[in-house]
Amino acid sequence: MSTLHAKAAEEYLRHTDIVERHDKTFFGVRQKRDNMAQALPEWEDLREAASQIKKHTVSHLADYLQQFEENATRNGIHVHWAADAREYNDIVYQILSAHGVKKVVKSKSMLTEECHLNENLEQHGIEVIETDLGERILQMMHLAPSHIVMPALHVHREAIGDCFRSQGLMENLEYPNMPDDPNDPTYLTFVARMHLRRQFTEAQAGMTGANFGIASTGEVVVCTNEGNADMSTSIPKLHIVSMGIEKLIPDYASMGVFQRLLARCGTGQETTVYTSHFRGPRPGGEMHIVLVDNGRSQILSDPEHWQTLKCMRCGACMNTCPVYRRSAGYSYTYFIPGPIGINLGMLRGSRKYSDNVSACTLCCSCDNVCPVKVDLSTQIYRWRQQLDSMHRADATKKIMSRAMSFIFRHPKLYTRLVGSLHLARWVPSAMMKTPLNPWTYGHEMMKFPPKSFHQAWKDLKPKEDEQ
Amino acid sequence: MFIPCYVDALYPEVGVSTFKLLKALGLQVDYPERQTCCGQPMGNAGFEKLSEPLACTFDEIFAPYDYVVAPSVSCAAYVRLFHPQMLERHGHTCQASGKTLDLVEFLHDVVKVNSLPSRFPHKVSLHNSCHGVRELGLSSPSERNVPKFNKIKDLLQLVDGITVLEPERPDECCGFGGMFAVEEKDVSARMGLEKVRRHIATGAEYITGPDSSCLMHMDGIARRQGLDIKFIHVAQILAAGL
Amino acid sequence: MNTKDKILARLREGVQQTFDMPDLSQLHGITYTDPVAQFIQKATTTAGAHLIELPGGVDLNQAVHQAYPQAQIFASNLPGIEVQLNPDTVEDVCQLTAVDVGIVQGRIGVAENACIWVPQAMKEKAICFASENLVILLRRTDIVSNMHQAYALIAESGEYFRDYKFGTFISGPSKTADIESALVYGAQAARSLTIILTS
Repeated sequence: MSTLHAKAAEEYLRHTDIVERHDKTFFGVRQKRDNMAQALPEWEDLREAASQIKKHTVSHLADYLQQFEENATRNGIHVHWAADAREYNDIVYQILSAHGVKKVVKSKSMLTEECHLNENLEQHGIEVIETDLGERILQMMHLAPSHIVMPALHVHREAIGDCFRSQGLMENLEYPNMPDDPNDPTYLTFVARMHLRRQFTEAQAGMTGANFGIASTGEVVVCTNEGNADMSTSIPKLHIVSMGIEKLIPDYASMGVFQRLLARCGTGQETTVYTSHFRGPRPGGEMHIVLVDNGRSQILSDPEHWQTLKCMRCGACMNTCPVYRRSAGYSYTYFIPGPIGINLGMLRGSRKYSDNVSACTLCCSCDNVCPVKVDLSTQIYRWRQQLDSMHRADATKKIMSRAMSFIFRHPKLYTRLVGSLHLARWVPSAMMKTPLNPWTYGHEMMKFPPKSFHQAWKDLKPKEDEQ
Repeated sequence: MFIPCYVDALYPEVGVSTFKLLKALGLQVDYPERQTCCGQPMGNAGFEKLSEPLACTFDEIFAPYDYVVAPSVSCAAYVRLFHPQMLERHGHTCQASGKTLDLVEFLHDVVKVNSLPSRFPHKVSLHNSCHGVRELGLSSPSERNVPKFNKIKDLLQLVDGITVLEPERPDECCGFGGMFAVEEKDVSARMGLEKVRRHIATGAEYITGPDSSCLMHMDGIARRQGLDIKFIHVAQILAAGL
Repeated sequence: MNTKDKILARLREGVQQTFDMPDLSQLHGITYTDPVAQFIQKATTTAGAHLIELPGGVDLNQAVHQAYPQAQIFASNLPGIEVQLNPDTVEDVCQLTAVDVGIVQGRIGVAENACIWVPQAMKEKAICFASENLVILLRRTDIVSNMHQAYALIAESGEYFRDYKFGTFISGPSKTADIESALVYGAQAARSLTIILTS
């Protein structure tokens, strides 16, 4: 009776100190988010506005996409449409190969992860350099992201330092005040800076994702703290934007709402350092936007789950999720973990990714932090209801549920069973601790009272003459 | 009174306290004996279909009463939030759901209790159960920018001699979650242990809360880990001395 | 049908329920009685920028050079500032990666988060990012309270997005906390930011 998530979590939880560190790190981000929320009197109005704007935009997405394309084209941007990952990868490859590109610098984009762009380009002999520090670390270590906003916080400085040294990044590097700790984060960041700044000048193309696309102006907005998206797009002449079609918002008034929410929810900052608006190619350059569906239009038609399209990938639901914080990103079988990842995984492949649906206590904290009010916990509850018909329900849980339901449907049987539970008091506790009793894995058994409430009621209830 | 199945079986004293409290407040109290379970355990496990007949029976049993009061936030929340849609699928309109309340919200919002004769001269650490906080609104959720309030605390502070404390991360989940506790047993146990430790760190003698399922989970973990802390339901404190 | 038409058709068919656009004029962002003071406070604390309030009569060129006395290569296209490189005329954009101090004009300051709107007003915007240190000039009178007000200005008037097809809000120097959550200034872009408030 355990899912792949539960099994992976069991393994992860053996390392108590690592779990504690992981939990504290991400709860700290959650607390920074809380401080941001408390500092703005209009906080809850902002969330409600964001939710309504997204509902409106998603339910008029075809119109807004057309408007976006018209305006972007007028701005001199080439707009492409990709139905799925394969078409997306082909389009990007064709643009790059037509320009003779051998090296691409790239800022973080969950969409490119979703479509496995990097592997695809590398197969064609194009070198892809991730430029977000966390992503670059993972790329060099051949690891997957463990979080969508802070992808490498689970990797410790020693491992990062070793990796940089093994890649020769410290060679011929002058650093004015060499710290005692050879893995000092400031020093390692400097090492990465020098390495990446070389990449920006060597690359022939820059790729970014898009946090938002603005329909009324035909521009995309990219938010980063490091400035890597800007470095990637101000040195190479060619800029390719990969954008999921749900990233669209109507206009600048909407942009104000989302800009104010994104960083506050994601990292607990009032803003990202850079909020960059790309409305066209740079002088003498070329800009392409690839609009990607890859299952999104299908989600729109799902009456129970279409609201996941409101998500703007801030990661707040992961930071608050008590299960995510104690099981970490790799315990999930989908590349996006946490509450939104459970839901997006099921929408990607409900049979393939059903092992994450167990990773939720239904505590509903995610619903309260979500800046666009995606009904995350309700959706997880709904997925659980669907597992049985997909033949992905846990057999033990099913037997237990059936047995309970049977007993509960027969009040007399129920009353008799509950009334005889006290007999269990005579069973030695050692005998209760069997693999057949999963409760005793982490818990002592409950103490059984001499009488049930049903039995106690006989003495409590008002006598006939009292009534 | 709706005394949920596990309270009936394992914590009858919580039911008894609830009854005594309601009686002491001058209310006419009945306990329909055909009642069993609201269906939440099966629903949360993914078998809502198996809960549907229970929801129908629940509605039939409790429809005639003015209020249905349960000393368990998650069960009250399940009836209120999930029963309507289940009954709708069976072509019924819910009668009982809207008037089903947890004991705390009933005392606080309906009876508007402002004094109690009870006495409990102890330090307690308050466990704000998730469904009480985020589904029934018993306290302001820490995630939201809303005025601070806590109905459980308001009631407990009417009790003579009590000191009410709250742990760090006052509304983080304890990790019970019904079958989550056995399906994701490692995460569940870890969450429970951390929660108990935070409660103990307040210096309290008791952990109290409006839901015996969270308390049962934490009690099982505390005893397994040899941690010295006692557990008591809010109803028992409010009725202490009655 | 081509891909675009297929996607649009699926989106039109798939809609479950339509929703109206909310009235955002009812949304009131936080405002400050003294936005300039709030801006200065945010810029110099959370954003991590240096800030110079330039008294009247003090030479801008002098102020810039005094702020970075060790610097050798200055770059700007603003009049009256002595520079070694000009982003309008630089031959190869990669030259800008060697700039010690880049100086640009900001157009809107935002008090709630120390963002400064820097529209591209030079041929090579790399100056805003590739310079080791960045100086942004900002008029005190151009500071508003919140992002709603800033975006309203940009949307309503063509002057905030005029010369080139790019503009960016910048709040402090480039930052990262990707290694064990330790905050480090100077990730990939400018390592320091100095804001010069002019009257």
